[in-house]
Amino acid sequence: MDESELIKGIQQGDNKVFRVLVETYQRMVVNTCFGIVHSTADAEDLAQDVFLEIFRTAGSFRGDSKISTWLYRIATNRSLNFVRNKKRKGFFQSLEETFTGGKNRNSEISENRSDQPDQNITDQQRSDLLHRAIDQLPEKQRIAFTLNKYEELPYQQIAEVMEISLASVESLIHRAKKNLQEQLLDCYKKKCV
Amino acid sequence: MKHKCIHKDLIFYLDNELSEEKRTAVEKHLEECADCRSFLVFLKDEMQIIEKEKNPEASPFFYTRLSARLDERPQFKQQGLWVRFAQPAFFSVMLIAGIYGGLRLGSNASSGMINPEPTSTIQLMNDFENEPIESFLLNEL
Repeated sequence: MDESELIKGIQQGDNKVFRVLVETYQRMVVNTCFGIVHSTADAEDLAQDVFLEIFRTAGSFRGDSKISTWLYRIATNRSLNFVRNKKRKGFFQSLEETFTGGKNRNSEISENRSDQPDQNITDQQRSDLLHRAIDQLPEKQRIAFTLNKYEELPYQQIAEVMEISLASVESLIHRAKKNLQEQLLDCYKKKCV
Repeated sequence: MKHKCIHKDLIFYLDNELSEEKRTAVEKHLEECADCRSFLVFLKDEMQIIEKEKNPEASPFFYTRLSARLDERPQFKQQGLWVRFAQPAFFSVMLIAGIYGGLRLGSNASSGMINPEPTSTIQLMNDFENEPIESFLLNEL
């Protein structure tokens, strides 16, 4: 089944065609969301939202770009919104903790980590460090880096997804790597894992 | 080549994105510098995490959950219609009935007030009439 048949079927509300679309692109969408939100459960929930949006708005799809490009756009936008909302909630939660006298759990965890010797570093701690470093990147750098590293997309396709020039993608990924390296170096020097 | 310069280039060295000249210089420095070698290992381990965690296992119930959510939507819409239209209409009818009933009761009450007839007189007990306070005080003295 080619892309135009898929879109036509979904526009007509054909559940069988929709299932084919979901099974074809499920891994890709979950992986993209995971690269930004770093949680399998959240990535799956977001991927479901992405497919629901596709089903709802298929009528407005003009077919100028590939389905995958359309899916990548929705997946990255939804994931970034999710991260923004989570940050906002975290801010209000920390405010609440300040007023209620509760302890900030994250700072507690990071304090504990700094006491541990290098040989006891677990994969989980390492991946937490990497996720924190990725989360510190500006949004555009994060999207370009995630699509390149998690989805192994070529720069040209990233440019199509982000609707920017190829040179901008090159620059974004270069800066993302530099920033990521700086943060990891900082952490390496402080032995924060 | 200094530490600072090489630290900047290591991530690009790992991704094979350095020119031949720079790559040779980095490799030469790495042979001599244990600290940079250690950071390279650290950086490599961190970047390999992406390789390990990408392409998570697909959930077998993904489509089942998704189709259940698709089926939920029309019910939600119907419920939304009920909430949006029927509930305000019901409460409006109740409010109008309440006001009408109140007006009817009020008009009945005012028509009854035209010729008010005392049905009974209430006998209030007044101790001061029976026993004035002056006489009470004089008796006490």
